Amino acid sequence: MDECVAVLGSGSWGTTLAKVAADNGRTVLLWARRPELSEEINRTRRNQAYLPDISLPDGVQGCADLAQICARTKLIFLVVPSHGLREIAAKLGDLVSGEHVIVHATKGIERESHKRMSEVVREETCVRRVGVLSGPNLARELALGQPAGTLVASRYEEVFVRCQQVLNNGYFRAYSSEDVIGAEVGGAFKNVVALAAGIAHGLGLGDNSKALLITRGLSEMTRLGVAMGAEPATFAGMAGIGDLIATCSSTLSRNHQVGMRLARGETIEQIQAQMQMVAEGVKTARAIQEFALRHELDLPIVRAVHRLLYEGCDVPTALRDLMATPTGIERAALG
Amino acid sequence: MRPQDAERAKQAAAARVVSSYLARERGQHRLEVLINDTLYHEQRRLERENRKDPGVRADLSFYRGVRRALSRADTGELETLVTSMAGRFASEIAGHFDERVYRVATTLVPAGLSLLLSASEPHKLASLSSLRSALREHLLIQGAVDQVRALMSRGTLVVVPTHSSHLDSIALGYAVYLLGMPPLLYGAGLNLFKNPLISFFMQNLGAYRVDRKKNASLYKDVLKEYATATLELGYNNLFFPGGTRSRSGAVEQKLKKGLLGTAMTAYVRNLQAGKPNPNLYFVPCTISYKLVLEAETLIDDYLKEVGKSRYIIEDDEFSKPRRILNFLRSLISLDSRVVITFGEVLDIVGNRVDPEGTSRDARGRPIDPVSYVRREGQPVHDPQRDSQYTGEVANAVAQAFLRDNVLMSTHVVAHALLTLLRRHNPGLDLYRLLRTGGGQPALGAGLIADEVDAIRKALREQPHGPRLSPELLQPDALAVVDDALRHFQTYHSEPAAVREGEQVRHRDRNLLYYYANRLRHYGLPGFDRRDEVAHG
Repeated sequence: MDECVAVLGSGSWGTTLAKVAADNGRTVLLWARRPELSEEINRTRRNQAYLPDISLPDGVQGCADLAQICARTKLIFLVVPSHGLREIAAKLGDLVSGEHVIVHATKGIERESHKRMSEVVREETCVRRVGVLSGPNLARELALGQPAGTLVASRYEEVFVRCQQVLNNGYFRAYSSEDVIGAEVGGAFKNVVALAAGIAHGLGLGDNSKALLITRGLSEMTRLGVAMGAEPATFAGMAGIGDLIATCSSTLSRNHQVGMRLARGETIEQIQAQMQMVAEGVKTARAIQEFALRHELDLPIVRAVHRLLYEGCDVPTALRDLMATPTGIERAALG
Repeated sequence: MRPQDAERAKQAAAARVVSSYLARERGQHRLEVLINDTLYHEQRRLERENRKDPGVRADLSFYRGVRRALSRADTGELETLVTSMAGRFASEIAGHFDERVYRVATTLVPAGLSLLLSASEPHKLASLSSLRSALREHLLIQGAVDQVRALMSRGTLVVVPTHSSHLDSIALGYAVYLLGMPPLLYGAGLNLFKNPLISFFMQNLGAYRVDRKKNASLYKDVLKEYATATLELGYNNLFFPGGTRSRSGAVEQKLKKGLLGTAMTAYVRNLQAGKPNPNLYFVPCTISYKLVLEAETLIDDYLKEVGKSRYIIEDDEFSKPRRILNFLRSLISLDSRVVITFGEVLDIVGNRVDPEGTSRDARGRPIDPVSYVRREGQPVHDPQRDSQYTGEVANAVAQAFLRDNVLMSTHVVAHALLTLLRRHNPGLDLYRLLRTGGGQPALGAGLIADEVDAIRKALREQPHGPRLSPELLQPDALAVVDDALRHFQTYHSEPAAVREGEQVRHRDRNLLYYYANRLRHYGLPGFDRRDEVAHG
């Protein structure tokens, strides 16, 4: 019998993953923080707030009861914002056993502790078989059935095998890797580059600049990843360069929006005052900058974004300083 | 181990290795490759051995027979050949069991040590009882002792200690005796059995033989299966997860997963067989000495070529009875203690276990360990999964080592001296500094005491260990320096450092480096991060 799976988090990405699995004939228990949303999904077969024009297959079942979910399925996708992941993981900790598998699809680093999401899951639950799903995945495109790929990384082979069985189909391909750290660093780091890409866009810069940003962003991502214990090759894949390309091409993300407004001369305080949620890149830039200082890593793009966000620097100065950093041997940076 | 159990373990080991090869894809072909691999490695090993040795001659003759049979063997005979080779290895590992010796050994462990001492200097034989009490006084057993005792009846223990000296297994064997536990089974290097003084102790520990010169994969498989079989029979085992004595003196952080993994195999088999007490528990443990018997040889070997250390050392202090005796005398005269610290017991995937035997997650919630290996309701093996679980255990054990490492005056004073020397000689790299000593042949004792103060302050601020030995906690740092110097001067052939009035002269800086390395892995200044990776 095909495995029933759970997706915790009914945002656009969680709902989309649930749809992919249900398109493959799986029963998917889709959990939402607000029970009304689960009811709405069951009643209307739609998630009006996040994916209004997508019709959800019958296999997607909204469910607000975590205990019931953990009893019915052993494979759980955790798709909640990074700042809320620990709280949900702690609740799961009361309900799961060593038999469960948790795969998170959250791109970020915990704000205070600078921990990766899989570390948070490990701390809050007894689950050992943990994985991460990360890649160039704009939810709406995937929900429309446009071809896309992603990466599932876990130290445990059966984790990515089971994910592939659940997710792979005619429009979605999940590649596998054992490099959990690489997948998580790639996913978190690209949000900072997205912010920078938004700035470049806001300044009206063209494709040369974008290519420079993506390539050097990849270099910084790799250096950071290697310092944290990742495999450099991971960044040449879905969770690295793949995600950077998609991120820097899309103008809709929250990170990109923040970048564009910074380029127009607004301060981060002004921008945040008008946004309901903090863009992941804003939090991640601080965490990475702190890590880089502690480990003596040279990450000029992160430093520039950090100066803009937290040190009162203006965009022209940050850009000028960034372009003034010495150029060295290109590959040396790739660790 | 009861003789019938040794026989069962031996037979199970050989049979399982053969069937595991047959169960794989192209099993027959694999058998042929396996036979040739074994012949090749054994031939190479035997070429280096003394051909007059009866054992070597018997081996040569056996493999000649195998080679002859192989040339005309059909598929059925391949299996017979592998079975006979595996059986031969298994017999050698299990050793010839003398029940009489075993009975004496398990009831009279302390007598063994006196035998060791008396054999080396028969005319100065101390009385048995005084030796026993001396031993008891000089061995401090601390940590999760009650928990370890409580869990003995609830499952099978795998004791995993740090390893700095061949005396470790003896000290631990004695500790286990004092705690009223049955002897630990232990895979001891063949060279230890060749040492007549120590071979007796190996029996005390219920040791089986490990020949590190045998590189054939068949041999390693049989060895692993033998250990697994003894665990399944419920015998507590002792594994040194570092694989060998720490050459640098640092607490081991890169642990070998091969032997650790046998516990998971035994656990799943226990569950599948429906045994009443299927659980296996890992007991991390640190063994700390102010002075290490083999320090001089180990650090020399380490420095000769970092990363290319000799795996087997047969000519160290341990092979010289007089050195052992001197060492034990120093221990007693200095009123120094060997400290064995049992850490929190871990389950099969590295969760903490409470005294009732219940696994607990990081937040203290109870967990059923069976859930980690169950698939569709049944406990199953999954080699990839299980090797990752073992990796989790290795990480947890490595953390326990750092938490329960007991630092002593010799370690901290050695680090203080080296730190000062490095500060005074900023242009010298470490290796040149160790060789030449830099520009200052001696340093002020007061200066060293100040450095000791700074180091112990930094150590106290560490959130996850180490533990500090009582003499390090005394307010007067100068007394700590003197305590360390007294030790340095008493045992080693060249003292690491000596007091000359208000000055302390450094003499054997390699030894200082060895003892200072015990402070490695805590992120303290003086230990380069990149350097730490190389040390493992």
